[in-house]
Amino acid sequence: MRIYVLRQLVLLIITLFLLTIFAFCLSYWFPGDPVTNSSGIFSDDTMRYADAASSRGFDGNILVQYWHYLAHLFRGDWGISLLDSDPVFEQLQLRFGATLEIAVLAMLIALVPGVALGVLSALNFRKPIDHTILSMSLSGYSIPVFWFAQIAILLVAVRWGMLPIAGQINPLFNIEAVTGSILLDIFINQPENMGLAFRSAIRHITLPVLVLSVMPMMLLIRLTRSSMLDVLDKNYITSAYAKGLSTRRVISSHAIPNAMQNVIRELGSLLSLLITNTMIIEVIFSWPGIGSWLIRSIYERDYPVIQGGLLLIAALILCVHVALNLIHAWRYPQVRKDLHATS
Amino acid sequence: MPRPNLYYEERTPSPLERVWLEFNRNPLARAALYIIIFILILCIFGPWLTPYGPNEQILDAISLPPAWSDDGNIRFLLGTDELGRDMVTRIIYGARYTFGYPFLVVLASAAIGISLGAIAAMTVGVKSSTLKHLLDVLMSIPSLLLALIIIAITGPGLSNALLAIGLVLIPQFLHVTRNAIHDERQKPYVTASRLNGVSDMYLLSMVFFPNIVKVLVIQLTIGLSIAILDIAALGFLRLGAQSPTPEWGSMLAQSLEVAYITPWVMALPGIALFLTLVSVNLVGETLRIAIQKQLER
Repeated sequence: MRIYVLRQLVLLIITLFLLTIFAFCLSYWFPGDPVTNSSGIFSDDTMRYADAASSRGFDGNILVQYWHYLAHLFRGDWGISLLDSDPVFEQLQLRFGATLEIAVLAMLIALVPGVALGVLSALNFRKPIDHTILSMSLSGYSIPVFWFAQIAILLVAVRWGMLPIAGQINPLFNIEAVTGSILLDIFINQPENMGLAFRSAIRHITLPVLVLSVMPMMLLIRLTRSSMLDVLDKNYITSAYAKGLSTRRVISSHAIPNAMQNVIRELGSLLSLLITNTMIIEVIFSWPGIGSWLIRSIYERDYPVIQGGLLLIAALILCVHVALNLIHAWRYPQVRKDLHATS
Repeated sequence: MPRPNLYYEERTPSPLERVWLEFNRNPLARAALYIIIFILILCIFGPWLTPYGPNEQILDAISLPPAWSDDGNIRFLLGTDELGRDMVTRIIYGARYTFGYPFLVVLASAAIGISLGAIAAMTVGVKSSTLKHLLDVLMSIPSLLLALIIIAITGPGLSNALLAIGLVLIPQFLHVTRNAIHDERQKPYVTASRLNGVSDMYLLSMVFFPNIVKVLVIQLTIGLSIAILDIAALGFLRLGAQSPTPEWGSMLAQSLEVAYITPWVMALPGIALFLTLVSVNLVGETLRIAIQKQLER
């Protein structure tokens, strides 16, 4: 296990290193001046431009420049936005919390019904229930999330007027952003009418989270179903039945834990899909997260923001992947053995 | 008059026939196949079937509802949008942008990815584990994010979006081809042909390829579904096809402003996109089941 953890961590560090090289190169590949692209200071601001150029080592060769880039990266000085001169790193910290909030909540909401329906449909293999659940999940993950969100807005928010559709909270509540995640922020700020603030925040968060949770839920159903079907064919299930265990015992303590192994392995690809959908949902619901900022910055050509945002999202995905691999290997020792044998 | 079968011969249907049987067994899957063929026909012959141009404005018919509602007009079967453009025409033209171009892009990147994957798999000894790890990392980053990176460098636009999607799909094909050939490598039939002393080219095209083509076909449908969704998503985010282009995703983005007054302008491109994606996914799924059954025999 120790060797496996080390291997994974070394791999993570190497990929993160490659990622920083890539992000560094981006400021050359973007059209325009590399100094402006990486620091966000225009060349007509002569004094600060010269400052930025010298502090980023632009008088030296490319290796010196990369070294200075890394130093700035670790110092948390990611340049300023070309549009509104906000420091990129501070903004990203705030927006990261907001993005994580809806992504994590959607994943949690998707998890329980997804696994439950998957198990249900595997137990009723090729019966009407199975067919219903399967076709529901097939059409569920084929719905483009941006269209689904619009229909949800049209029906729930406009026709029935039940929920608000934009932002994190009613702007009348003056909540100072600390973590970016609105529910945590209300808790930290302790405003006078906390109950009302919480109600408003929850009403704002409901629709994006629900729309976002549909796709992972549908994929989870399919994953759970196919891995349950594999497991139910195994000999140990037959022997568990032969021991005289009740169906409930067999399913809950033999079939489901083993079926989860495959599901955890596939969870990584599901999470990266979730992240892209989060970006789209943020744009639609004007959620102040990384995704909406990144997409806005792409068509405003705000290069420091693009660079920082891409670096952060890609690093997040890589870290989550490694974490999932580690959890997988820790929970299921037989996987570990396989990995050692093949490597 | 049916002939009695005299011999107990067991006729195994050919692989293609078996795929067809699987489609026949499942009416939904067959419907999906017909829908895809229908969309393909629309892609090719669309301009000859439509009464109006895609950007032609009919000024006396602005924001007309579909023909079956009371205010509708039979000249415009599915109504018109806020600029008086016929929705049927725009959706038929949109099939080209949202289904046709991604289809071509997927074919192109499949050709590149598969040949690169074959080369990677045939050259043993070159740091193939490095390549594998790199590919694993690249595959773990979602395709839309990679496309966004490429578009950030090249700038928004339909051709850049198509280029980005094509580039993003190549590693996936590479990965799948390489893994498939690696899995087949150790099998006895490969060893047998090796002992026969065939050349690498022959080994690749006549021995490996017929046996991995199933995996590649499945990957093709997955890639197509990803490409369609990503092109539409980029169009929706206004980073792909730009405004007057009747691409379904960008039509959805334009309809945002009027969705509350004329909901059909929003609903129709969405339904078209949804039907296309469901059909592609369902056909892919059926192919997968059919191939799995063949492996189990």
